[in-house]
Formats: sequence, structure tokens, C-alpha cells
Amino acid sequence: MAFNLFKKKNNGPLQVVAPVTGEVVLLEDVPDPVFSQKMMGDGVAVMPSGGAVVSPVDGTVEMVADTGHAVGVKSGDGTEFLIHIGLETVSLKGQGFSVKVSQGDKVSAGQPLIEADWAYLKEHAASIVTPIVVTNGEGRTISREADGPCAAGETVILSVSAD
Amino acid sequence: MEKTFKITASEGLHARPATLLVSAVNPLDAEVRLVHNGKPANLKSIMAVMAAGIPSGAEVTITAEGADAEQAIEKVSEVFVSQNLGEEI
Repeated sequence: MAFNLFKKKNNGPLQVVAPVTGEVVLLEDVPDPVFSQKMMGDGVAVMPSGGAVVSPVDGTVEMVADTGHAVGVKSGDGTEFLIHIGLETVSLKGQGFSVKVSQGDKVSAGQPLIEADWAYLKEHAASIVTPIVVTNGEGRTISREADGPCAAGETVILSVSAD
Repeated sequence: MEKTFKITASEGLHARPATLLVSAVNPLDAEVRLVHNGKPANLKSIMAVMAAGIPSGAEVTITAEGADAEQAIEKVSEVFVSQNLGEEI
């Protein structure tokens, strides 16, 4: 532990806040094997109750899907987070999403990235459950920090530390 | 080594296809890239592949360098065919 503290530039693990307000869901319980089997990476999911999808960390927008259903943010320490809004939502071809940022933008934790029309998504998507995963988790330990309700940009739901 | 494919997956290379391609080549040592419109993306990075935003109908060239480059190209071809992502051209 002491070794880790010396190795890292800042104090302690990276704190990751909820990308959307709702209820924390275990990644294992997301009904899509790409997420539940952690093929894409470790993380957690949120069953949204409303509001915008916000940045989980201070960082840079690495990727925004043309269809608005997925967004990637890289934190200052190089950890990459992918937020996938709902399941099978690529097929909605942008309907129900309004993108607020562009690739390369600097963002702060809690800053809105994408606004989602949850009522529309509930009706048309396989699920609105929204996974957030670390896509470059090799050499990092990812821990879930929350259970139950979470508030976008406020509740710390994950911590990430370098091994 | 390289091989060119036409993307046939109706939604392009979004989250699931990107993950399957990256998972196939990640265990290998070779440097593998996906080149679209002259722009290379690291095929060992899900974020890079998704950021490339490859649409259906696009032509992509997979390049591999290293001792197991041939194996990398084979793995990628396997995923393209078995997942109906694209066809060799």
C-alpha cells in the first residue's frame, strides 16, 4: 500500500463519479455479455432515473459515437472510461440523444456530455441500463464504491488505482 | 502484413464489434492497426477503434507487424467472418 502511494503522483486512487443519476447495477447483472463478462473492461452500471449523462472524471473526450449512444473520456492519469447509454442503442441511429461535447474537448467531472430522452429510450431500446467501464484496465485495480442510489457527478461509484 | 475488408455489419464497428476485434489480437505481440481513409487506429484499443467511427460499407485495412503478425491477421479475419462484420476484398 505504501509502495502504491509513493508510486502515484496524486493522493490515493482516482475517484470516479456516477455518469448519470439512478441506481447502481452490478456490471455482472447487465443483460449483455460484452459488459457482464467484462469483455470490454471492468466497471459498473447505472439504471438511470433521469437527467444528463455527465463526465465521470476530469479529462478529455476521447470518443463520441456519431449516434450519441456512447462516449469515452480519458482522465489525466490515462485511464479510459467508456459510457454506453442503454443497450443495443446503436441501432437507434442517434434518435433520443443530444451530444453536448466533441472529441478532444476538456471536460470536468459532472459536466454534461450527452442528454438522453429517457422516455424515448425506454420505449425503443433493449434497456436503458448504462454501463461505465475502464477500457484500458490492464495494470489497474478497479473497485466499485457505491450501491443503491447515485447522483450524477456527485456519488463516487468507482475508484481506480495503478497496480 | 495487411488485409483489406469491407465492413458489412449494418451498424459499423461500434462497441461489440470493436471489443471482439480488440480481444482477438490483444494476447498477441504484434502491433495491429486498423486503417480507414488513411488514418491508423490501434486495434488493441477499444476506445481508438470506436473513435475511428467506422461505418457500414467502409473499407478498412488491417496491418500487423511483429513475429506473430500472420496470426494477428488470421485472428482478425476469423472475427470479421464469424461475426458477420465484414468481407475480405
